[in-house]
Amino acid sequence: MLRILLIDDTAKKVGRLKAALVQAGFEVIEESGLTIDLPARVETVHPDVVLIDTESPGRDVMEQVVLVSRDRPRPIVMFTDEHDPGVMRQAIQAGVSAYIVEGIQATRLQPILDVAMARFESDQALKAQLQARDQQLVERKRIELAKGLLMKMKDCNEEQAYTLMRRQAMSKQQKLIQVAEQIIAMSDLLG
Amino acid sequence: MPSANPLAWVHGSDAPEKPLLELGFMALTDCAPLVVAATQGFAQTYGLSLNLRRQSSWASLRDKLLNGQLDAAHSLYGLIYALQLGIDASGATDMAVLMGLNQNGQAINLSPALLRHGVTSGEALRRFVHQSRTKLTFAQTFPTGTHAMWLYYWLASHGIHPLHDVHSVVVPPAQMLAHLQAGRIDGFCVGEPWSAGAVEQAQGFTLATSQSIWPDHPEKVLGCTRAFVEQHPNTARALVMAVLAASRFIEQSCENRRNTAQLLSGKAYLDAPLTHIEPRLLGHYQDGLGNQWQDPHALHVHDDGRANLPYLSDGMWFMTQFRRWGLLRDDPDYLGVARAVQQRALYRDAATAIGVPCADTQMRSSQLIDGRHWDGSDPGAYARSFSLHALAEMPAALTRP
Repeated sequence: MLRILLIDDTAKKVGRLKAALVQAGFEVIEESGLTIDLPARVETVHPDVVLIDTESPGRDVMEQVVLVSRDRPRPIVMFTDEHDPGVMRQAIQAGVSAYIVEGIQATRLQPILDVAMARFESDQALKAQLQARDQQLVERKRIELAKGLLMKMKDCNEEQAYTLMRRQAMSKQQKLIQVAEQIIAMSDLLG
Repeated sequence: MPSANPLAWVHGSDAPEKPLLELGFMALTDCAPLVVAATQGFAQTYGLSLNLRRQSSWASLRDKLLNGQLDAAHSLYGLIYALQLGIDASGATDMAVLMGLNQNGQAINLSPALLRHGVTSGEALRRFVHQSRTKLTFAQTFPTGTHAMWLYYWLASHGIHPLHDVHSVVVPPAQMLAHLQAGRIDGFCVGEPWSAGAVEQAQGFTLATSQSIWPDHPEKVLGCTRAFVEQHPNTARALVMAVLAASRFIEQSCENRRNTAQLLSGKAYLDAPLTHIEPRLLGHYQDGLGNQWQDPHALHVHDDGRANLPYLSDGMWFMTQFRRWGLLRDDPDYLGVARAVQQRALYRDAATAIGVPCADTQMRSSQLIDGRHWDGSDPGAYARSFSLHALAEMPAALTRP
């Protein structure tokens, strides 16, 4: 069952939406407290989806939730009773996965949330691929740096330096990058 | 070691289409090339990051290869061909063998109870099986896997029909020992470190190594779907380069092999004692009967590329055994299927790029334990030529020539 954190901090009555969600079989946790607690609530509640009103006090709440959930991101779905494309575009840039228009029938909620989750997951996969590319470059540079330091320290060639580093890593059940970082740290220490 | 200009592969038009790969493996010694490639900086050089994903069963590894949760995996040769031919329940899917991961290094063990009955040879087992009133039960690891094929071949070569004279069951490697101790199985065929581990714990003995059945036999491969190779040709080539470079590194020295054993024993990989992994990885065998030897055909993960080359005859052999044991009711197009599955051109590109010797032969010639030769020629006749078999539709008159 999907667990939904429903953020209710506007004057608008969320009664109908909440009822519709419950009726559709979702676990709904309503949050009507101060928005300042929101990051902590997202942490403790571990929602599958965060549902918030487009009119929620300023865009700051959105920004905050997106920032907070950066390490453990969750799809954010907005509910609204307006169809302003500008607001939507802004929200999508901020990481919102889908919209729910107020007054929607309970039976239509599941497919919308499914789409939101699927889109969110594919966004995450894409992000992971991009991060991997960056990380490879960083790791390769760090390993190269450590290799160079080791070649100087041990007066050995490139291949011998790689082999020394790999043997050290494997015998300690570590990754090569960990040993590279240790060599760089040691070299910093010894000046 | 790092080739002349590996960056050319990363930045040019040959850049991997997908830089982050999910790689499946089972906790077996022969997953070594994947673990070393992923953790020891062999993949970044070719623009890849490899996420290792340990699997709890071959069935789940297969399902994840098919649904895309895994991009490629440490696979039983037979598993890939069974998928290609649609032998198991999931239906036929075009599959690819990117490279061989190893030869040799599996074994058949028997229980302490059989040892007490003096069953310490193939001949003694044959007599015991034919005289005993209760059927013995032997375990292997997957219905269409290599361990099933080694067990069947070995039993049949000693006059024991693996499907009639004994029970054959599937047990996950990590549970073999518990089932043996509980008396639910009398023996098993499994990959290391599980055979060495049983001997080490004085739970039975190694009756036969897989290399005694077929010296330098094909075993695990780097497998994926054909769709993956077709959609990501540069990624697939870079992956073969990284894994091939790691294989070469492992066998570059005895010390590298020892360090590989240390790495593998880690919690994230095999999570097994070093004493179960290292000796047989170095070729030091003891069988639990007091015999010790240095095995010239112990686990090879590279052997100057001979263990990695995807020979057509290796793939075809598994199809002949599927046919022999009734898993295939008709002859497949042995050569055609092997040509489509074995990614020889891609392997050649990768091997050449990193300076690994790559012979031009499609077939290799071997002699197996029963004295028979296999060189890839006339596979249909070869599949039909065994006196013990389960060729379902074979006319009775032809079964005993």
